[in-house]
Amino acid sequence: MSVALRAQLFLFLISLSSRMGLSRYIEDNEAADGLYSLLSLDQKRESDDFIFRRPLRCLDMLATDGYFTFVASRPQLACAAFIIAEPSEVISLELSDVNIDCSAGDFIKMFDGWVLKGEKFPSRQDHQLPLNQRYTDYCSSAAPGATSRSSQNVAMIFFRIHSPDSGFTLTVKKLHNPFPCNIMSQSPEGSFTMVMPHQRRNCSFSIIYPVEIRLTDLSLGQAISNELSPQRQVWTGCSGSGDYVELLGGNGVDTSMMFPIADLCFSLSGLAQMKIGCDNSVVRLVSSGNYINRVSFQYRLLEQRELPKTRENALDNFCSVE
Amino acid sequence: MKLNVLLGVGALLAVFLPRSADCRPADADAAVATATGQRRLPLMLPRPLLLLHLGEEFSLRLGGGSAASSPSIPPSSSSSFSSSAVNVALLRLTQRLLQVRAEQQTRAEQQEEEKEKRSEEPPISLDLTFHLLREVLQMARAEQQAQQADSNRRMMDTAGK
Repeated sequence: MSVALRAQLFLFLISLSSRMGLSRYIEDNEAADGLYSLLSLDQKRESDDFIFRRPLRCLDMLATDGYFTFVASRPQLACAAFIIAEPSEVISLELSDVNIDCSAGDFIKMFDGWVLKGEKFPSRQDHQLPLNQRYTDYCSSAAPGATSRSSQNVAMIFFRIHSPDSGFTLTVKKLHNPFPCNIMSQSPEGSFTMVMPHQRRNCSFSIIYPVEIRLTDLSLGQAISNELSPQRQVWTGCSGSGDYVELLGGNGVDTSMMFPIADLCFSLSGLAQMKIGCDNSVVRLVSSGNYINRVSFQYRLLEQRELPKTRENALDNFCSVE
Repeated sequence: MKLNVLLGVGALLAVFLPRSADCRPADADAAVATATGQRRLPLMLPRPLLLLHLGEEFSLRLGGGSAASSPSIPPSSSSSFSSSAVNVALLRLTQRLLQVRAEQQTRAEQQEEEKEKRSEEPPISLDLTFHLLREVLQMARAEQQAQQADSNRRMMDTAGK
């Protein structure tokens, strides 16, 4: 074959493969096994028998995978278990061996998020599903077992059991989430980077402690195409391009009922820090979907003596901020 | 020469033909599909109404314009079977169709609201203070760290065998 013809043929083949370049679905091949990958197959099979098991309490918080069994010793009418995972994980819940009496008023409901004092996290504006779809009711579902998968790293289960010796088993599994949105932090100290690639979503990172937050990197608005007009977006302000980061503080878990403390809408490379003396401190990234947005921040717990002083004539519900 | 042209055309076609949408997990697509599917169903109803109505108006027009159910016909077109009368009839039909469609949508929205209210009751929530929540969270984290340490130890034991 002549060189020219071969070149033409290769060009043709390459252009065929250009159709396959737009896929964005990320496959996770369990690369985070660490030491586990050193074991041989037999050894792995042995260690699989040790899945964590323990009884479930009426008020409980679960942070591990495993089987949790609840057996009522007396009528329990208001029980709930909170489940929390790492920021880049989602939770899969499954009910099995369920032995309750739905007609007597027993129920088991799984919720995609947390509910505390009537407030829901993530809020209605931040969550992609309508509220009724975030509840999975065991008694209403037709299948004998019920499963639910959360959209973020927190989930909840509410249950009420009237007769003693009824109960159920809850299986908790964690699945990887490559672009986490709406995260509840497990610890009062740490750091995180939130990335929102071309999606029109508002994402909140919630820390249920009074913390000092330092934004170390903020990159809003890398355009979807290679246009050379980024300078213009700097001057339109926070409402112009629609992408900004806001810091919120409040005394509940619902981010839509919290007070905005600061707005940041231009990319910064220096440090911006804030002390938020509230029960709940939130970093919220609002994205229009036109850009890839990224915000990195660190946070540490504020000691009692470091809490900002409350001002005179301050609103009762507003917590102090510095 | 011909082969070159063919290859060039093939390359151009391959590049400029519409691409498939970017990949997303099947769940998101299914959810979107069912959402739009459900939205579309109620709108199917008004079409037979439209045809029926068209038949009615036409028969009224042909019979000579003294029908009681058409009060707003302009006097110039009520006497003869002209194209303007047809236009007026069509205009009123589309108005009626839009009205029915709007009613259906509000009805559907009301039903959705009712369903939402029903599924929210009883409003279940725990009145935990943040202090208690943090305590329970700390207990859970301690348990997780102990579990992780235990699992690491077991793994090292197994690897050592």
